[in-house]
Amino acid sequence: MFPLKDAEMGAFTFFASALPHDVCGSNGLPLTPNSIKILGRFQILKTITHPRLCQYVDISRGKHERLVVVAEHCAQSLEDLLRERKPVSYSKVLCIAFEVLQGLKYMNKHGIVHRALSPHNILLDQKGHIKLAKFGLYHMTGHGDDVDFPIGYPSYLAPEVIAQGISKTSDHTPSEKPLPSGPKSDVWSLGIILFELCMGRKLFQSLDISERLKFLLTLDCVDDTVIVLAEEHGCLDIIKDLPESVMNLLKKCLAFHSSKRPTPSELMQDKVFSEVSPLYTPFVKPASLFSSSLRCADLTLPEDISQLCKDINNDYLAERSIEEVYYLWCLAGGDLEKELVNKEIIRSKPPICTLPNLLFEDGESCGQGRDRSSLLDDTTVMLSLCQLRNRLKDVGGEAFYPLLEDDQSNLPHSNSNNELSAAATLPLIIRERDTEYQLNRIVLFDRLLKAYPYKKNQIWKEARVDIPPLMRGLTWAALLGVEGAIHAKYVAIDKDTPIPTDRQLKICVPASPAPGMQCPETPCSSKPQPEGLDSLCAPFLYLNFNNEALAYACMSAFIPKYLYNFFLKDNSHVIQEYLTVFSQMIAFHDPELSNHLNEIGFIPDLYAIPWFLTMFTHVFPLHKIFHLWDTLLLGNSSFPFCIGVAILQQLRDRLLANGFNECILLFSDLPEIDIERCVRESISLFCWTPKSATYRQHAQPPKPPPESGVRSSTPYFTDCPEPPKTELSRESISLNDLKSEVSPRISAEDLIDLCELTVTGHFKTPPKKTKSSKPKLLVVDIRNNEDFIRGHISGSINIPFGTAFTAEGELTQAPCTTMLQNFKGKVIVIVGHVSKHMAEFAAHLVKMKYPRICILDGGINKIKPTGLLTIPAPQI
Amino acid sequence: MKKYRGRFSNREREFVYKFKVGTQCLELKVPLQFPVEEDASHLHGRLMLLHNLPCFIENDLKEALSQFVEEESLRDYDSDAEASLEAVKSGEVDLHQLASTWAKAYTETTLEHARPEEPSWDEDFADVYHDLIHSPASETLLNLEHNYFVSISELIGERDVELKKLRERQGIEMEKVMQELGKSLTDQDVNSLAAQHFECQQDLENKWTSELKQSTAIQKQEYQEWVIKLHRDLKNPNNSPLSEEIKVQPSQFRESVEANGRIYEEQRKLEESFTIHLGAQLKTMHNLRLLRADMLDFCKHKRNHRNGVKLHRLQTALSLYSTSLCGLVLLVDNRINSYSGIKRDFATVCQECTDFHFPRIEEQLEVVQQVVLYARAQRRSKMKDSRDSGNQSGERDEKAKNTDRNYLNILPGEFYITRHSNLSEIHVAFHLCVDDNVKSGNITARHPAIMGLRNILKVCCTHDITTVSIPLLLVHEMSEEMTIPWCLKRAELVFKCVKGFMMEMASWDGGISRTVQFLVPQSISEEMFYQLSNMLPQIFRVSSTLTLTSKH
Repeated sequence: MFPLKDAEMGAFTFFASALPHDVCGSNGLPLTPNSIKILGRFQILKTITHPRLCQYVDISRGKHERLVVVAEHCAQSLEDLLRERKPVSYSKVLCIAFEVLQGLKYMNKHGIVHRALSPHNILLDQKGHIKLAKFGLYHMTGHGDDVDFPIGYPSYLAPEVIAQGISKTSDHTPSEKPLPSGPKSDVWSLGIILFELCMGRKLFQSLDISERLKFLLTLDCVDDTVIVLAEEHGCLDIIKDLPESVMNLLKKCLAFHSSKRPTPSELMQDKVFSEVSPLYTPFVKPASLFSSSLRCADLTLPEDISQLCKDINNDYLAERSIEEVYYLWCLAGGDLEKELVNKEIIRSKPPICTLPNLLFEDGESCGQGRDRSSLLDDTTVMLSLCQLRNRLKDVGGEAFYPLLEDDQSNLPHSNSNNELSAAATLPLIIRERDTEYQLNRIVLFDRLLKAYPYKKNQIWKEARVDIPPLMRGLTWAALLGVEGAIHAKYVAIDKDTPIPTDRQLKICVPASPAPGMQCPETPCSSKPQPEGLDSLCAPFLYLNFNNEALAYACMSAFIPKYLYNFFLKDNSHVIQEYLTVFSQMIAFHDPELSNHLNEIGFIPDLYAIPWFLTMFTHVFPLHKIFHLWDTLLLGNSSFPFCIGVAILQQLRDRLLANGFNECILLFSDLPEIDIERCVRESISLFCWTPKSATYRQHAQPPKPPPESGVRSSTPYFTDCPEPPKTELSRESISLNDLKSEVSPRISAEDLIDLCELTVTGHFKTPPKKTKSSKPKLLVVDIRNNEDFIRGHISGSINIPFGTAFTAEGELTQAPCTTMLQNFKGKVIVIVGHVSKHMAEFAAHLVKMKYPRICILDGGINKIKPTGLLTIPAPQI
Repeated sequence: MKKYRGRFSNREREFVYKFKVGTQCLELKVPLQFPVEEDASHLHGRLMLLHNLPCFIENDLKEALSQFVEEESLRDYDSDAEASLEAVKSGEVDLHQLASTWAKAYTETTLEHARPEEPSWDEDFADVYHDLIHSPASETLLNLEHNYFVSISELIGERDVELKKLRERQGIEMEKVMQELGKSLTDQDVNSLAAQHFECQQDLENKWTSELKQSTAIQKQEYQEWVIKLHRDLKNPNNSPLSEEIKVQPSQFRESVEANGRIYEEQRKLEESFTIHLGAQLKTMHNLRLLRADMLDFCKHKRNHRNGVKLHRLQTALSLYSTSLCGLVLLVDNRINSYSGIKRDFATVCQECTDFHFPRIEEQLEVVQQVVLYARAQRRSKMKDSRDSGNQSGERDEKAKNTDRNYLNILPGEFYITRHSNLSEIHVAFHLCVDDNVKSGNITARHPAIMGLRNILKVCCTHDITTVSIPLLLVHEMSEEMTIPWCLKRAELVFKCVKGFMMEMASWDGGISRTVQFLVPQSISEEMFYQLSNMLPQIFRVSSTLTLTSKH
């Protein structure tokens, strides 16, 4: 989007027509309210950006099917020129005509027809260039089907539009739906407007509407519409004086039969514009972030860099895009309805005065007069930016132009920077509503994203703080590493050939933006299982409503990362493994809860499948999903486990107090979850979890590490680039074995890492910096005493398996067991020979509510080759 | 008129594309459905994939395809335009009718072309009143209203006393006569006396009715004039005696000293409230209340405690012209009058106090009757039209049934609406017509009464009625056949239906929070009440309580 510059924002409102009573759609479901249809069609208008068109910004839905549209606006329009009652100079008329045609041509290219062209919808900006307003009204109302009022103004309607009459689609069976108006009807309207400009007065003022329309239709019989129009208005002499080019233009525009009328793009090529057209350079749409073309291809820097800074004034806000300014305007307390009420555009009668007298059983009401407040008033109200500017008056220029150096720590912090860092400690909800803070974040992310992928690392870093809602779509794409010619790839997918899963999809995704949109097929499987995919699509589609290609690209990056192979035709082994690891994670973090749930038989299969299959989108409303995924995208594929455990912990008290049936009921309608707390806790859980504990053999195989410079700081809380597989990594075990074990296994690698053992010799991993935050850990060796003495991990304690527990299941009293008790709450690793014994021992400890128990994968034998076992000095 | 259009839309055309691979000349033919609705670039992608086309023609094909689509659509537009112009020219479409349809559309839907609004007394008064009641003058207004109310109640009191006296006197007379019966007087004498008595009563009642009517009319006029004057004076505060009056008035509150047994005892009301969530992703919150109370309790002014009265009154008055109204569903029979049953009780309550804003209930009912007559006539002619053209046999049966009916009556499931400013807690009454069917045990969700409820909730949506009270069992009085299982079954049905309707409502109005009160008759047992209140949370999703825990 362009910078706001000197443009202003305006809002206008109208009502969508009410649905007929008790009519169902062909699928038997209730009809979508018209206001929602309009809301959906509006979205594409936001992407239509052209200097001759008023940029659409937002639409909001009010009570009783009211819609408020926000768009760029200018105070001046051609109406003001006409009001002067003087003919406009011919060269100016040609310029206006050409500029309007530029706008029309661009619209037509996007399949949009204006239909409501009139002098007051052709605005003049500060430099005197025109901008077309309300160009999307015909499109967003479904060619006028979804509103009661006719689109267009009586004096400017093209003859064929009049002749087609007013007909709603509902009157027709779909097969004989009339065609909407074509691009040529706008050319007629333009012709009338140009005629008025030449005459310096409005046409048909003395006639009432039906006479006007009748007159327009009778123009068929005459040879020259221009002359007849001039005669009718007594201004033949002015017409006679018109230069040839203008006269030609008028004649072309006012050709009665549309077949003889040129389209906007044809007309632009006409020789009448030969003088004007060289003045304008054709508009080239700037390349968007994820396009295949080079974004800087056309960039030329002037010889003298300081020239760039010459025309910068102090109005930094005007340099932001209108979308950002509107977003900030809303944050700074802007209220659309209130503005419209203040200007008396929204006038509503007290509802008690408009009640009907009688309603029939089919819902038809009687005895209620037409409410005048529902009439269309298409005045556009300017939205004042005063309040916002006032709010931001103390924000300095550096906030609008932050430096993007990687290392900012040694820069002196300015005052506002301190304030910002203070704001950063506030809860997320408050930060998201703070105007200044959001301004800073938006500007920062905007600049970082413009530098993507070069600034990828810094995007990761800033995303860890928070992601401004306005930039979320692109930021997520950046976090998922979307790159390349996504659009071309998306276009190349066959989205229309019906496949068996279509029907189900149709039911699942009723609100998909475009009729042809299908769920992106996951790259890992040719036939996706749609179950769950719809919910999964929702966040991406919501954020990238107008960019399906980007949404698809995000999806195809997201699914292999978090849900690898989940959508296979037979995914049971993947899901089973996933759930087993999840239940091990519950036992690891919350043994008490795990014991209780196992006791009542409330296994994850009963509740957690939709959680993971949809990455919680099925469980939480979208606004919560955004916050959850903001963090999820920063973590690796095992982060969802931690979220799952964190959710369970929030419900802990209730789960512990209840039996199976109550738990099922509780989960069928999940109570409110405090999402910020959930995110916080899952991060801390993640930090406590050894990486290899969540090892899954069906996870995505680690990619060969690419250029280490980029990757090294990408993953989240701890540095854990997927390590290359070594002999010390975990080995895959069968599902049944996995299921039989309560506690997770960790790899020898992790153990070495956690114990901070120095590795000698051949071991590749470079010794890491010791971190104070590393969880302390206790290694419990359950071999018998002799083996222990022959060699053990330094710092480990020995509790032989055979004698560890009394008959009652208590720990036997010994110095070592007291040590174990002291370490309760820390990570405890069970080491031994026999994996069965280790598992049993761990299960015992879990029973006794020891948290964070894990087993060394492969037992002591794994450690032996590393030479890390020590032999204690013989005791005397 | 519209038939000719079918020829021009939905046509299939063939897109032909020729290209060369080496020396081979190939031709691609694609049938395309016009008007093209999908994006040409997607179509292009599909073609490439489907026919395994070589990549070197990609761009060329793309261009050719979009050009083809563009040209063909333009041709369609042109021919469509031509055809419609031709239709007008040839007279197939009447020019005058066409023009007047357009003109009508403009005048009916746009402010620019609409006829200027004629000033309406009601709405002006509404604005004035709304301003005043939200100003310091509200106290004065309420006091005035209360004083008027008291004087009406005094009148009613007098009437009742007089009527009672008359009845007593007549009773004694009649007793005397009865003793004399067979001795000096015949049956005929008794009959004539009875007739005479009846006439006397009628006369007296009529006299009082007209007196009441007169005094309410006077009160209403006085009141409205006074309100307008007050508003005018408040606007220009200098030299207004009234604004002084406002300051003084509160002290001179007139005590009403009447405790003539017309006080409604507060029966033990049972009440349970619930907060519920509807919807899965976008949740909306609503309040539900289950009450054991009489429907008319929401209408009657309770005279015994003054403060409560004033608060209720103030609350009702404040929201009268606002966007949060309160409504009540009354179950009535198919006649629009106020002669019997709950209709009469309701009318009696309405008359206890002058309605300063809306017409009296009798007048409102008369208007409803006219609307019913008019609407029926309209529907009949419409049905005739459709029958003439469509000739559906199914509708004929219904039609035959309809002709038998009295057009003044309404059918089950239909309802009429009256507006009130003089009732204690409600502004709007929905009079829902039900028949004796509702007493039977097996009604379904498609029963007219239930559909009526749905329409009532829909009106609530469109007219900002945020609180509505519904008789849960769809009866006002309990009777023998209404056993415990009957009650449970009925309550479940109504709960479930209302839940469904409320979910539907969320899509109509964007999920505004509402209060729905379910009323059960007074005569229901306490045990039964608690059974019902246990049922409610099983049907609605009661929002879970927020547990506050200390930070650890």
